[in-house]
Amino acid sequence: MLEIRNLTKIYDDGTVALKNVSFTVNDGEFLVVIGLSGSGKSTLLRCINRLIDPTEGEIIWNGVDMAQLQGEELRKNRRQIGMIFQHFNLVRRSTVLTNVLAGRLGYTPQRNSLLGRFSENDKQKAWTALRRLGIEDQAHKLARELSGGQQQRVGVARALMQEPLMILADEPVASLDPVLAHSILQYLEALNQEDGMTVLCSLHYLDLVQQYSTRVIGLRDGEIVYHGSRADIRAMTDEEFKDIYGEEAVRVSAGLEGNLNDNAEGAA
Amino acid sequence: MSNNTKKLAHKDDIRQPSLVKPPIAAVLSLILPGLGQALARAMRRGLLLLLTIASIGGLLLWRFKLTAPRDEGWVNIIKKGWHLDPFLIAVTVLFALLYIWIAVDAYAIAKDRTRTPIGVFFVLIAVFFALGWQIGQIDIVTLITQADEAGPPLGRVAWPWEKAIAYEQSILAASADIRVPCTGNELAPNEIAGSEPVLIATPTCGTLSTQDGEAGTILHLEGHNFAPGEDTAIKWKDPIGNIFRQRQEGEYVVVIPDAEGYFETDIIMPYRLLPPSATDPFYVWVIFGEQTADVGAAHLSDDFKLVVEKMIETIFIGMMATFFGVILAVPVSFFAARNLMSASPITLAVYYLVRGVLNIIRSIEPIIWAIIAVIVVGLGPFAGILALVFHSIAALGKLYSEAIESIDPGPIEAIQATGATWLQTVVYAVVPQIVPPFVSFTIYRWDINVRMSTIIGLVGGGGIGFLLVQYIRILDYRSAGMAVWFIAITVAILDYVSAEIRARFV
Repeated sequence: MLEIRNLTKIYDDGTVALKNVSFTVNDGEFLVVIGLSGSGKSTLLRCINRLIDPTEGEIIWNGVDMAQLQGEELRKNRRQIGMIFQHFNLVRRSTVLTNVLAGRLGYTPQRNSLLGRFSENDKQKAWTALRRLGIEDQAHKLARELSGGQQQRVGVARALMQEPLMILADEPVASLDPVLAHSILQYLEALNQEDGMTVLCSLHYLDLVQQYSTRVIGLRDGEIVYHGSRADIRAMTDEEFKDIYGEEAVRVSAGLEGNLNDNAEGAA
Repeated sequence: MSNNTKKLAHKDDIRQPSLVKPPIAAVLSLILPGLGQALARAMRRGLLLLLTIASIGGLLLWRFKLTAPRDEGWVNIIKKGWHLDPFLIAVTVLFALLYIWIAVDAYAIAKDRTRTPIGVFFVLIAVFFALGWQIGQIDIVTLITQADEAGPPLGRVAWPWEKAIAYEQSILAASADIRVPCTGNELAPNEIAGSEPVLIATPTCGTLSTQDGEAGTILHLEGHNFAPGEDTAIKWKDPIGNIFRQRQEGEYVVVIPDAEGYFETDIIMPYRLLPPSATDPFYVWVIFGEQTADVGAAHLSDDFKLVVEKMIETIFIGMMATFFGVILAVPVSFFAARNLMSASPITLAVYYLVRGVLNIIRSIEPIIWAIIAVIVVGLGPFAGILALVFHSIAALGKLYSEAIESIDPGPIEAIQATGATWLQTVVYAVVPQIVPPFVSFTIYRWDINVRMSTIIGLVGGGGIGFLLVQYIRILDYRSAGMAVWFIAITVAILDYVSAEIRARFV
C-alpha cells in the first residue's frame, strides 16, 4: 500500500510543482492521475520512487517512508517499483536484450553487472518477459531500430524484470498512436489483473481513463482537484473532464483523435 | 501623405533639412572631405568618408615611400613613385576621383534630403581594389608569360617514379694529382699503362681561382682508355676529402670520349675555401674523370626507401599523438561538459576555466606548438608528437565534452529507477551513449593528425614533411614528388577507412 501525505515539491527556481498532496493507493488498484501538462503529474510519480526529492511530506510505501531513505535502502525499495516513461527512456544504442536485462540491475551484484554478466536465471526472465510482450524476435536489435510501440513494450519488459509490486507509468502512451495506446494499456491491465501489480498511471485521454482505471485523481497546478471512483469516472461527462483539463481536452475515439466539441458522444 | 509613400520613406531614410546650401556643402567637402555631408545632417556618412579618405591617403603615401625609399620630400617621392611604378598613377587618379566625388556627394546630399546616393561607395571600392592590387604586387603578365616555368618541376612531381628505381652502378674512373700551389718540385704526369683508363693533366700544379674572380690555372686534361661514347664527369677531391664536380660557366663539365676512349678538355681550376687550419705550404688536390654505368637488376632507390620509412614514421606520429591526446582529453572533457559542471558555482568556474584554456590551445596552430616543442626536445618525431598532442587534447576535449553534453537524461532516470547503483547507472546509461561518438571523434582525429604531421614536419617535427621540405630545398622535385604521392595515397586511404569506421559506429 502506498500512502502519500502532505507531499510538496518546490523546485530550485521557485516553481511549486506539488502543493500538499495526499492520497492513498491500495494494493491491486489501477489508479490514474489526470491533469494538464505542467500540473505536477510527472513530479508526483517521480517523487514516489525518489527520482526527484520531495521538499516536504511523507511517502509511506508498505510501511517505509520513501522520502527519508538514502543509499542502499532506497535502492532496495526502488527496485520493487517499476517505471515506464513517455519517451520510453531506452538506451537507444544498446540491444533490446541489454535494455531489458538492465531492469535486473537492482538485484545484480555490482561487480558482475559492470562486466555485463547476468545470471542464467535473469536471462531466462528476460526472455520470458520479451515473449510475454511479443518482441522476442527483436531481442538482438538495437533499441533505436524499433518502432515506438515496440520500444514501449521493451520499457514494460524492463519494468517487469524488477518483479515489481507497483508500476509507475508516466504518460506511457502519450508518444504513441491510439491503437498502440490501447495495446500498451492492455498489457498494463493484464499486469494489474493477472499479476496483481498496483498501477499508478498518468493519462491524457478521457476514454482511456474510463476504460482502464479503477480510480482517478485529477491534478491542477499541483493540487488534487478531483477524486473519483470507477463508477464516478464512467459517469463523468466531457464538461467535468474539461473542468480539470480546460478547453484543450481531447478524446481518443476508436483510434481517431478529435476535439471533444466535435465528438461529444464518442464511444468509450 | 498616402500610406504608400509612408512605407517607401522610412523615417531613418529622411534627414533633417541641410544646414548649408548644396554648393557650399560641396566646397566644404573639398576642403575637408565629409564636412559637407556632416553639415547636410548626414553625420555618420561624413565621418565614414573622412576616415576612409584619411586611411586611403595614408596607405597611398606608404606605398609611395616604399617604392621610392631614397628620395627626400613628398613631391620628389611621388614623382619617383609614378616613374618607378606606373600602376601608382592609376591609384593616384582613382584617389583624386574619389576626393572630387565626395564633394559631388555632399552636393547631392545637401540638395535632396530624400535621396541617398551610393555612387561614392563604388568609387571607394575601386580605390581599395586598386590599392590592394598594388600592395599585393599582383602581376598577371608574369603569371601568364612565365607559366611554362612550372612545367618541369610540376612534371617531376606529377610522375616521379623514375627516381624510385635504381641500378647497381659500375664506376670507371682515373685520377691525377695536382699540387697547389706550384713549388718548383712538380709531380710526374701519369703515363698510359696497358688498357686501364688514365687521366693526364698538364701542368701537374697550379693555383686555384680566388674569391674576387681571379681565374686559376688552366689545366689541360687528356683521358685514355675510357668507355667510348659514355658521359664522363670531371670531379675534384680537395685535400680534406670533399668531392665536388667541376663547373664551367655555371654548368657541370661533361666530356664524351671518342671511339678509342680518348678525350681532351681544358678546365680552369675552381675556387674553393679551405678551413683556417689548412696552413701547409702546399696541398695535393685530386682531379678525376668518372664514368658511371648501370649494371645488374633494377632495385628500389634509397630515396624511395627513405620516403616509405618517413611515411611510416608519419603515420605513427599521428597514431601516438592521437593515443596520448585521447588519454588526456577524456578526463579533461568531463570538466568541460556543462551538464556535469553546472551543479555549483565552483564547478561552473572550473568549467569556464577549462573551456577557456582549451579554446586558447586550439586556436594556436599545431605548427606553432611544433616550433616550441622543437626548442624543448630538439628536431625529430617526438617534437611533432608533442605538438599534435597539445592540439588533439584541445580539439578532442571540446568534441568529447559536447558529446557528453548531448546525452539523453532519460535512460539515466530509467536505470536509476530500477534500483541501480551510481556506477551501474554510468555503465548502463551513460557509457553506451558516449562511446560511439568518442570512437568516431577519435578516428577522425587520427585522420587529422596524420595529415597534420606532414605539415609539422616542415618545421622539424619529424616525419615525411621534414623530408619533403629538404627535397624541395635541394630542388630534387622527383623525390619530393614521391613524398607528395605517398602523402596523398596515405591520406586518401585513411580518409576512406575513417569514414567507413565512423559510419559503422554512429
